Amino acid sequence: MTNEIHTPSSEFAREVASVPGGEAINKCIQCGICTASCMVARASEKYRPRKIIQKILIGKRDEVLRSDQPWFCMTCRMCEENCQEGVSPAEIFHAVRFIAAREGHIPNVFRNTLDTVLTDGWLLKDAYSDFIEDERDDLGLEVDLRFNDGFVKRVRERYFSPDMREAEV
Amino acid sequence: MDMLLYRGCTAPVRLPAYEAATIAVLEKLGVNLIEFKDTNCCGAQYVESLSRNAFAAMSGRILALAEKEGLDILAICGACSGSLKINKYHLDNDPTLRDEVNSLLADEGLKYTGKVRVRHLLQVLHEDIGIDAVERAVVRPYDGIRMAAHYGCHVTRPYEIVQVDDPENPTILDRLVEAVGGVAVDYAGKTRCCGGPMLAMDEGIASAIGRQKIQNIAEARADGLVTACVFCDIQLTQVQFGEGAIDKRIPVITIPQFLGPALGIDEDVLGLELNKITPSDIMASLQEGRQ
Repeated sequence: MTNEIHTPSSEFAREVASVPGGEAINKCIQCGICTASCMVARASEKYRPRKIIQKILIGKRDEVLRSDQPWFCMTCRMCEENCQEGVSPAEIFHAVRFIAAREGHIPNVFRNTLDTVLTDGWLLKDAYSDFIEDERDDLGLEVDLRFNDGFVKRVRERYFSPDMREAEV
Repeated sequence: MDMLLYRGCTAPVRLPAYEAATIAVLEKLGVNLIEFKDTNCCGAQYVESLSRNAFAAMSGRILALAEKEGLDILAICGACSGSLKINKYHLDNDPTLRDEVNSLLADEGLKYTGKVRVRHLLQVLHEDIGIDAVERAVVRPYDGIRMAAHYGCHVTRPYEIVQVDDPENPTILDRLVEAVGGVAVDYAGKTRCCGGPMLAMDEGIASAIGRQKIQNIAEARADGLVTACVFCDIQLTQVQFGEGAIDKRIPVITIPQFLGPALGIDEDVLGLELNKITPSDIMASLQEGRQ
């Protein structure tokens, strides 16, 4: 692995590499094919995956963890498909999200949606109206969706603090 | 063949016609879908982004429930099939993670050992049933209706784990379109994302991505768009409404809703009237044919 490193490697890059998903970060040669193949980057100047990886490689820990940027990845894996160095930005940004989340840097939409899932057991309990129940009935589908809401309580207790940071296991 | 239908969170509420059409089409083709009770969210995107252990636990419980039933899982949503397959991969290859998840599952008398498979709808149609068998079952072929296929990123990537179709040049949906008398239309950016996963962070960017795809499909002069993921279907429909949308909407239809009429299944059973952009022009291409 070490002889495959072509790029600067900071303390933060080593930290990311130690988290599942982040292992390949030091293989990045900054060619930019990820940004070139990224639909988000094509639609908006706000997001450049190569630049985020560069910031990790040169050790801008606070800037990366406090930024929304690692949360903009759609995990469509188009860049991963194209990367010639075996790097998956989607996996790397998941590793970065885990580190950011442990330190409380979680976009509100992620925090709130996680809270819903870990309360109801699924995402759309509140959206499941009588009207949709009738639609399902007309289609001959089961109306009682019977999602389990007990298991998620134990998941919450074991893996998350009250503010949705990941807890140490 | 019996399988458990894992319907996920979104399909039953936002696209129940997809669920109904899947059940009807697979029944016609010899696959019996069994109600999968007492499940939970697979953990895609939200749990997935915050804790690897919690994500593995969410999907792991679903996999363990299926093991108890002794049946493979059918997933009709790209996010669900992707999450279940990725977590199965991690649980099969990481004994520490497996022990961790099993310690939590033990409270309910469940255990993950890796016995069941997770199948996306496209795999069942392609591998378990076979495209030839679909073609043989056609009673009312389409008369050359031009359909563009959108596969869904999480359905086909990463290939090493999901193993559905060639991620760079997927063909299953196209071959299904042709099996029932349609013409598969190629278009620029076929394997690109619909923009759906961006809705959480930035709706404007999500719409721009989806609209670009619709624009490319319009330029290829397709009469319709077939999908294999609930999120993609909803997103690619939604971006055709509101300010800045294209003038002439392209009907978006899930693959079982497209196959069903050609197989002689009643349109009401397939919920076609619930589609937000009416597929009436597509249905008008059906021929009264071989009985």
